[in-house]
Amino acid sequence: MHKTCLEDTVAAHIIEFKERYYRLAYSYVKNSEDAMDIVQESIYKAFSSLDSLENPSYIKTWFYRIVVNTSVDILRKRKREILSNETFLSSIDEGEYDSYENFDLKAALDSLPENYRTIIILRYFEDLKLQEIADVLNENVNTVKTRLYAGLKKLRIAMDEKNEEVLI
Amino acid sequence: MEKGLKDLKNEYLDIPIPEELDFVVRKAIKENRSLKPKERSSFKKTIIAAASALIIMATVTVGINTSPAFAETLSKVPIVGGIVKVLTFKEYTLNDETFNADIKIPEISGLKDEELQKALNEKYLEENEKLYQQFIHDMEEMKKSGGGHLGVDSGYVIKTDNNRILSVGRYVVNTVASSSTTFKYDTIDKKNEVLITLPSLFKDDSYINIISENIKEQMIKRHKEDENMIYWVSGVEDEDLIELFEKISKDQNFYINNDGKLVICFDKYEVAPGYMGVQEFIIPTEVISNVLVSNEYIK
Repeated sequence: MHKTCLEDTVAAHIIEFKERYYRLAYSYVKNSEDAMDIVQESIYKAFSSLDSLENPSYIKTWFYRIVVNTSVDILRKRKREILSNETFLSSIDEGEYDSYENFDLKAALDSLPENYRTIIILRYFEDLKLQEIADVLNENVNTVKTRLYAGLKKLRIAMDEKNEEVLI
Repeated sequence: MEKGLKDLKNEYLDIPIPEELDFVVRKAIKENRSLKPKERSSFKKTIIAAASALIIMATVTVGINTSPAFAETLSKVPIVGGIVKVLTFKEYTLNDETFNADIKIPEISGLKDEELQKALNEKYLEENEKLYQQFIHDMEEMKKSGGGHLGVDSGYVIKTDNNRILSVGRYVVNTVASSSTTFKYDTIDKKNEVLITLPSLFKDDSYINIISENIKEQMIKRHKEDENMIYWVSGVEDEDLIELFEKISKDQNFYINNDGKLVICFDKYEVAPGYMGVQEFIIPTEVISNVLVSNEYIK
């Protein structure tokens, strides 16, 4: 594939799915300014490493990988400050029904180690197939599968603990 | 918990998308694509830089246009007043899902010959407005026929700005599937305040052949040095395949560079395949010295 042609395809793909990539970035950093930086930096990385895209049909997983790596880098740089999450709290509090369950689940998800959380987000929120997640993370499918179930299990345990606290 | 995750997904999808996302994404793409690695400066944020540039531009333009007092103040600033300057006078931008336009109109100020200044500025304004109208028209047509990608990017570069010469190059990049680039140059003698045309530099029309022959030699030389440099010229390309470059036109695009050398320019696709881009040839002064009217501009 000719270089400019490949660039066109990548550019069109990013523009088309920019909101997805922005959301994914946001789910890591929880604020729009950093999410915006991640998107920009990912675009920069994408065009400077176009050679690493072996086949144009992998654009999706290739760019997801760049966004995930960039997000994780930024999080590490910030050494995981404790986030106040105020915007998030107000967004779940819709006042119509009790959202405790969601809140606990959300808190549990946020407290999961990154490698588990990323898989759950990609699987359940971004609707990626297990094989695609494996491509994004450069892992084999079985590892992804194992980690997905382990992640869900951790979530369940975390929520059970929360529920017990409430009962006590 | 599956239900819980589904609810969380809805929340996730509700993460608000900032309005400027589209702009920032497109700008980042534009800045980073088609650059060789060494040209690509390290990653930089655009929001702040872009915003402040816009503000400065708006202030200057609005200031000059609306307030005589402001204009007067400006002319008292030694750097700006009395010096021929090029400012961005007006800018059109349009960002639609798949349609982008960015048109910057230059304005020359500080020439004492107001007629010349006015003529140039009116030309710039008129050409760019036409460009914008054409773009809007094409966009509507394209939308009717089911959409597509369309972009126009127009602006200007100051090629030379010294005591004597001001060369302004205005470019238009049209993007449909691939892009085409056209350049138009204006060169002004700042001292005598005249617009310099190509024929006005020479005693007679013989410059056309002299320059053309020199350019052909340069094309072949460049090709010999690097076989990837392809020109549509006899000796490099077969004339059965494509129309070959014969000679420059009487009013071929040109500018005068800072060393006082004549530079002849060709648009993308004019004398070479698209990947070669815009082409420029510096004509050695000794080649044309016999036909030059004087060495006033060309040295």
